[in-house]
Amino acid sequence: MSTDQALVQAQHLSVRYGARRAVDDISFTLPKGRVVGLLGHNGAGKTTLMKALVGLVKAEGQLSVLGRDPLRERVALLNEACYIPDVAILPRWIRVADLIRLMGGLHPRFSAERSRELLRRTSVDLTDKVGKLSKGMMVQAHLALIAAIDARLMILDEPTLGLDVLSRKAFYEMLIDEWCDGERSVVISTHQVEEIEALLSDVLMLNEGKLVLSISLEDMDRRFVALSHDAAVADEMAAAHPLLRYRVAGGSAALFDGAPPEHVQALGRRVRPSLVDLFVALTRKPELDRTQF
Amino acid sequence: MQTWDDRQPIYQQLADLLAAQLLDGDPPEGEAMPSVRVLAGRHLLNPLTVNRALQALGDEGLLENRRGIGLFVAQGARERLKAAERERFLQQEWPRLRERLRRLDIGAEQLDWEGTR
Repeated sequence: MSTDQALVQAQHLSVRYGARRAVDDISFTLPKGRVVGLLGHNGAGKTTLMKALVGLVKAEGQLSVLGRDPLRERVALLNEACYIPDVAILPRWIRVADLIRLMGGLHPRFSAERSRELLRRTSVDLTDKVGKLSKGMMVQAHLALIAAIDARLMILDEPTLGLDVLSRKAFYEMLIDEWCDGERSVVISTHQVEEIEALLSDVLMLNEGKLVLSISLEDMDRRFVALSHDAAVADEMAAAHPLLRYRVAGGSAALFDGAPPEHVQALGRRVRPSLVDLFVALTRKPELDRTQF
Repeated sequence: MQTWDDRQPIYQQLADLLAAQLLDGDPPEGEAMPSVRVLAGRHLLNPLTVNRALQALGDEGLLENRRGIGLFVAQGARERLKAAERERFLQQEWPRLRERLRRLDIGAEQLDWEGTR
């Protein structure tokens, strides 16, 4: 991946809250046209990292977003990046039509026509007051507003938290269908890993402020090897030191970083490693090891 | 939401799903395939994954690329799919089925060939 196409470049990035490092010396690059999942447990640093990306917190190290320094060039950056923070921030008393008018005044690259077009996909009416919308509708309205900004990067912090399954599906469907065009990128933080795995092209995995994985899904399938196997060979599997052992339909599986020795591979059947399993393997706390089985 | 199994890459599973729909005439031969974005939205998949699935179907000669317009279902795609399915049944499923019928002592005359029940 050539760096001139990178939308985000971070080198040794850290964010400190007092003595604690919420983001701890991480480096990564995000190219254009990607759907990036930012995964981590609560408190892993996801929100802090996203805030750093849009210049809301001061970070140490080097950070370039759309070729700009988020902290110093925040206004210019927000012309080309859009952001939904993890709290619903739309004023409850306003009508949707007025929100569109407000956005038109606030953002130079916002298209009112486009937002109305996006809203037609939803059951949200222009005359609805925000406070009267269900949570699912509110998030859809929010997405319709920010997806109507002609930007190159969208940052979504836990966008589907607290939504039911149909609302989550509708949200992601609109995101994929209306935003992802092969040029724009989106970064989505979540801990509902299973659900968005197939949507993602890349993964950033945070654990206690550290970046434990930064990889494309394609490379993930190549690098990590999951073997499903019979209980009879469980000891031999364990002896090969897998990252994780877990249950799958019809038996057990072992997950390896890199190909295990051939005699071990011959004991099982290779399956597609799931992001959830990898997430568990790379983010669990060591003291939990014993309770895994 | 849709779930994919862990036995095959997701693009392969989508290609199989789309092939099954083509076999049922959805969409019919000569008609346009839905766009990558529509398929990605419908199945909640990354567009790159959808591209790979369509690529695989194209490689099998089931879709054809009309320059500047998009992907269309190739003429003869259904016949080709049906032939492949038939072959798969005869090679893989039928021996297992025959084995099971023998084990259960079920003869041809006991099977309802008309499907009128």
